[in-house]
Amino acid sequence: MFSLLGGIFLGWSLGANDASNAFGSAVSSRMIKFWSAAILASIFVVLGALLEGQAGIETLQSLTELTLKMAVVSSVAAAVTVTIMTVLGLPVSTSQAAVGAILGIGFVNKQVNIAGLGKVVACWFGTPIGGLLIAIVLYRLLAVVYNRSRIDMFESDILLRLALIVAGSYAAYALGANNVANVTAVFVGAGQLTVFAAALVGGLSIALGILTFSRGVMETVGRKLVRLDPFSALVVVLSEAITVHIYTVLGVPVSTSQAVIGAVLGVGIVKGINTVSRRTLTNIFIGWFLTPVVACFIAITLYFTVHLRYIPGQ
Amino acid sequence: MLRFFFKKERRLEHLIYSYLENLGMIQRHFVKAMNICLKEGVSDDFCFLMDQTHKSESRADDIRDEINELMYSRALIPELREDIMALLEKVDEIPRSFEQILNMIRTQKITFPEFLTLDIQELIRVSMESCDLMAKQIDVMVKKVEGVRALMSTIDQNESHCDHIERRIIIKLFESDLEPFLKLQLKELVIVLGEISDQADRVSKRVNILTMKRRV
Repeated sequence: MFSLLGGIFLGWSLGANDASNAFGSAVSSRMIKFWSAAILASIFVVLGALLEGQAGIETLQSLTELTLKMAVVSSVAAAVTVTIMTVLGLPVSTSQAAVGAILGIGFVNKQVNIAGLGKVVACWFGTPIGGLLIAIVLYRLLAVVYNRSRIDMFESDILLRLALIVAGSYAAYALGANNVANVTAVFVGAGQLTVFAAALVGGLSIALGILTFSRGVMETVGRKLVRLDPFSALVVVLSEAITVHIYTVLGVPVSTSQAVIGAVLGVGIVKGINTVSRRTLTNIFIGWFLTPVVACFIAITLYFTVHLRYIPGQ
Repeated sequence: MLRFFFKKERRLEHLIYSYLENLGMIQRHFVKAMNICLKEGVSDDFCFLMDQTHKSESRADDIRDEINELMYSRALIPELREDIMALLEKVDEIPRSFEQILNMIRTQKITFPEFLTLDIQELIRVSMESCDLMAKQIDVMVKKVEGVRALMSTIDQNESHCDHIERRIIIKLFESDLEPFLKLQLKELVIVLGEISDQADRVSKRVNILTMKRRV
């Protein structure tokens, strides 16, 4: 159980940070109370992890062969990376941190599944692009339906609010299904957990992060989305959820934040406005490259540190 | 059907329509008071209607406060909340002008010279038509049906027409033999009267922007 703490910590920080991508806009604009959103998000994260988390777990655990000690090192390295990047104020992807850390261990042991790694990296490129394309198509489709609907101002307001809550729940489901692999896949590889137990422990630790520490992030980070009008915010959340869900089916853990940024850019393209500043884009780019590299480096350092042996003087 | 589950939104819709209904009532009191004033000056009937106007104006303030309170208790999406509050703030300038005009007449004991009566009546008629159209435009915006732009265009024409009447009255006023003080007093009153259609026009343009903003 003690060996799982690194993974649980990673899951907790993931829940605390990434739940804002699902419910941030609804909570920070006070369309839904924080506790209602946190409970809904927690339920759907656990459901997602249990029902569809298996594919991602299998992909990550196939990247390299791990012992229990390696699994602990890799999960702690990923958690430390996420913390460092958050402190530096750079956008961080837990998926990239987890994969970077697993690769670090794999490099040391000269056991890396190159085909699996190629699939994962290709999907990292595809996440923001997917979010962007889905947002463009979804915006155009939903706009036609919305503008042609014969409902009055109050009904359309209610409909938008309900849709944001439903989309938020779906995004939480996709987050659980996709990102649970980052949290506990290494322990499956190490033979510590079954796939079901890994999904359950991972899902619950993400839910714990949402329930205990996501309030501040939801109320502040979520405002970045609310600067968009409610309809655009709905399109962004829905596009993010669909994008992440597609990668879940493909069995690749990806970053929900990167899917959101792609979707926000997509909405900007449709509306002909700048939705993301150049500085934010630069930070995302830096974070995108740095996260796996830093995680890989920390994992290698930790690995050598835990293998140091005291040799008494002659 | 959705609204059945959302009590606050239903209450809000009811209050907005009550506000518009009340605005219509203030208008009617104002027009009656002005007609009496044009016929017989400041009389008891005028004072009674002035009090009625004041009461209705206070009622409008109460309704607006209730609307704001309800919206602060998380009814509607924040963006729409702000838009409605700002809109009602602008609409509220109109009953305030009605009250201000009647107060000026009563406290300054203003009587209208006969040569201005027809023009003043015309100015009031067109201004009230603008107010009616403005209320209709808000209804059209709430119901999300077509017609906001057409109403805006009519209100805009009325506003120009009122400007012409206002200028005509002021020219007639200063060409007359009235005492200079009386001329300035009446000029001030006519300017406030002309402000009604200007304000209706400003509200109408705001409604048009809000309608465009809500299209995606």
